[in-house]
Amino acid sequence: MLPIARRPKVWDDAAGPESAFRPIPALHSSSAFGQSAPVPSPALELHHVSKSFGAFQAVRDLSFAVPQGCVFGFLGPNGAGKTTTLRMVLDIFRPTSGSIAVLGAPSAFDVRHRIGYLPEEKGLYKKMKSWAVIAYLASLKGIDRRTAGRRARVLLERYGLGAVAETKIEALSKGMAQKVQVLAAIAHEPELVIFDEPFSGLDPVNQAVLEEVITTLRSEGRTLVFSTHVMQHAERLCDRLLIMSRGAKIFEGTLKEARRTQPVRVRLHSEEDLDFLSAVPGATGLEARGGGEWELRLTSDADPQAVLEACFARHVRLRSYNAAEPTLHDVFVNLVGPEAREARADA
Amino acid sequence: MRNVLLIAWREFAENAKTKGFWFGIFTFPAILMLSTQIPMVLEKKATPIRHFVLVDQSGKFDGAISKAVNENEAARMIHAFRDYLAANLAPGKPFPADRQWLNHTPEGLFDLGAALAAVRSVLVSNPPPFLAPRPKFVRAPLPDALASTLPLAELERCLRPYVSDQQRYAPSNGLPPVALFAAVLIPSDYDGGLKSSSRSNAVLRFWSVNQADGELRSRIESAVTSELRLREYQKKGLDAGVIRQIEDIDARVEQFNPLKAVGEEKAGLADTLRQWAPSAFVYLLWVAIFSIAQMLLNGLIEEKSNRIIEVLLSSVTPGELMIGKLVGVAAVGMVMLAAWIGSMVAVLGYFAFTSSHGPMAAGAVANPVSQIPRDLATLLSDTWLLPAFGMYFLLGYVLYASLIMALGSTCNTVKDAQNYMAVIVLFLMVPLLSIPFIPRDPNGSFATLMSWIPPYTPFIMMNRITAHPPAFDVVGTLLLLVLFDALVLWACGRIFRIGVLRTGQPPRFLQALAWIRR
Repeated sequence: MLPIARRPKVWDDAAGPESAFRPIPALHSSSAFGQSAPVPSPALELHHVSKSFGAFQAVRDLSFAVPQGCVFGFLGPNGAGKTTTLRMVLDIFRPTSGSIAVLGAPSAFDVRHRIGYLPEEKGLYKKMKSWAVIAYLASLKGIDRRTAGRRARVLLERYGLGAVAETKIEALSKGMAQKVQVLAAIAHEPELVIFDEPFSGLDPVNQAVLEEVITTLRSEGRTLVFSTHVMQHAERLCDRLLIMSRGAKIFEGTLKEARRTQPVRVRLHSEEDLDFLSAVPGATGLEARGGGEWELRLTSDADPQAVLEACFARHVRLRSYNAAEPTLHDVFVNLVGPEAREARADA
Repeated sequence: MRNVLLIAWREFAENAKTKGFWFGIFTFPAILMLSTQIPMVLEKKATPIRHFVLVDQSGKFDGAISKAVNENEAARMIHAFRDYLAANLAPGKPFPADRQWLNHTPEGLFDLGAALAAVRSVLVSNPPPFLAPRPKFVRAPLPDALASTLPLAELERCLRPYVSDQQRYAPSNGLPPVALFAAVLIPSDYDGGLKSSSRSNAVLRFWSVNQADGELRSRIESAVTSELRLREYQKKGLDAGVIRQIEDIDARVEQFNPLKAVGEEKAGLADTLRQWAPSAFVYLLWVAIFSIAQMLLNGLIEEKSNRIIEVLLSSVTPGELMIGKLVGVAAVGMVMLAAWIGSMVAVLGYFAFTSSHGPMAAGAVANPVSQIPRDLATLLSDTWLLPAFGMYFLLGYVLYASLIMALGSTCNTVKDAQNYMAVIVLFLMVPLLSIPFIPRDPNGSFATLMSWIPPYTPFIMMNRITAHPPAFDVVGTLLLLVLFDALVLWACGRIFRIGVLRTGQPPRFLQALAWIRR
């Protein structure tokens, strides 16, 4: 466990809303502790974890690590085992086999005050006021009640909910209540934040606010793991990704690495014959789509510029040229296969 | 421990900080109070004057019936006059020793003039006029068009529209038309229908639409029965005065309780109260446990259904959550009971004070009912009722609340939970139904046996507590209950730990039992 793990008070009460959270220095500066930079241990590490419910195997031999300060996207269609994995990480479920280390501890419960959690199914105490819910959940994470109350109000103000601080949850819109729950998950300044499907049910405006929350958490050096099947959010926010399907990991790496798993597609429009492009280095296939439209597939490490150069060399007149990198959605659909249709519909 | 207290405080605040909770708390004693006062007010104010006609063609019972009805009205007048006297007694004046005014006239009437004259010297100067209560039963004369000598069948035909309220009845004495409550017709050969060969089969015919209010019928029946008996005695040669004297004889019985101190063994109303008062507490215990267990169940189902439970369990252990909820809701229950008992004690205290310091306190008119509040107040202060109630409430609460928490943890919807709650409610019905039987034989074999069944111990022992149960029963059942509570709490905690995170169908009974061993 890193020495920055437990700090009695990282909240600057006098500093105001904009500086509500202090960054975690160790994650930004290798000399934060006045010594040579150690290699930080992962914030989260799963080693050959499996989980069965009776005969049903929800998670199979899952291993991965989340570096500290990383925004980690947990992708997969419904039923892929994302929520079960997150519940195991939080020690709500015990794995059937394998081991989990959270912030260096063998059980999340040992470091529960350093973890923030937003479950997939959102719900709060309907009869409680917004600030009181946040303060209550923060106080269960070890913050004293007075400080928790103050933080709750500051956070609500900061994220545009100051006017509803005294409003009961039952009187809030679904989006507002969800924002309150997000704030409740981070009010105790956790080092590791786990959001399960945080964007579901939010309108575009509130999705942007949540993206801002995540960006802020990242800028403060906190580790964030969130599950989603909306690829655009993962694409914009994640440093690393893990894609699961049917309980098993099918990809883990950066966005760039994910894209490399897919061929580069170059779309060209020309009235001339482009069969010669099959000979371009890295070309894996060429398809004439009719109406002068062609699609050329290249290996992920091929240079699409070579296609353009080949066309110029032969004085081919091109009406259009488009060499787009595969999107995360393409990656997801191709890796997950038919199950991805479900995710596409949700997106 | 900190988390337990935080959870307990939230549970307490969630319930106790609502206006509805306090409204509910204070409406309960108000409802209790109103349930005793409203019938009295309705009796005084809302009961209509019942008019009836009486045709006695036998000529034997008219006087007896009239007198019986008059005596009933006179009793009500005397009661009202007592209240008037108590309210207008001059300060320092004793209650008049001469109570002749309490007697009826030979016709059974209350002589208001004589009564006022008898008490005038002890009243305040310029007392307000005495307002006589409205009469309850008034005999109306037959209309002019109807002669009492008409055949009964003809009289019945003519009176029928009035009695069935199709027509307003206009008496002959110029009074405004009224609704006729009843028509009482006595045939000329009526002799009570006694089983004798020489007697007729004629019956007294009581006509009325209202079958619920049987007071007039019963008074008439009683008066006619007395008159018939008197006539039979006289036929046998007995003197009427002697008969009245004999009928006035009442057996004097006094009850003694050997468990009371020597010289004070005489048992009275206070002793009867002492035996029955615990039943009220058992009922209160039952209502309290049942209602707050519902709070617990609803709260848990809410947390499960909207998945707050996951957030909570990422911060606290299932054990901390369960104990926190138990403690918080127990505190709600204690506040509720304290408010109920407090208001009851306040009301009793008020009545006890007024009955011991008011003008009637001199004992001018012995009224044992007025002593009830004072006896109850004494009972509460001199016995273990209240401490025992607090203890059995807590032990009973822990037992049933643990079961309900375990049950609630396995259900995802209120509907699921209610199906299972029915089993617990059925189980809880046994002590409720036993409430009236225990005080009759508080140390009998049934009560003793039931006391040793831990789920019933709080209710049965509470009901026995003022009947001096054997010390072995008190201590033994208490120890057994504490041990059983600990066992149930532990087992339910095991079920809760697994059930609270479970979704889907509730487990089967055997599966839940297997969770205890897991």
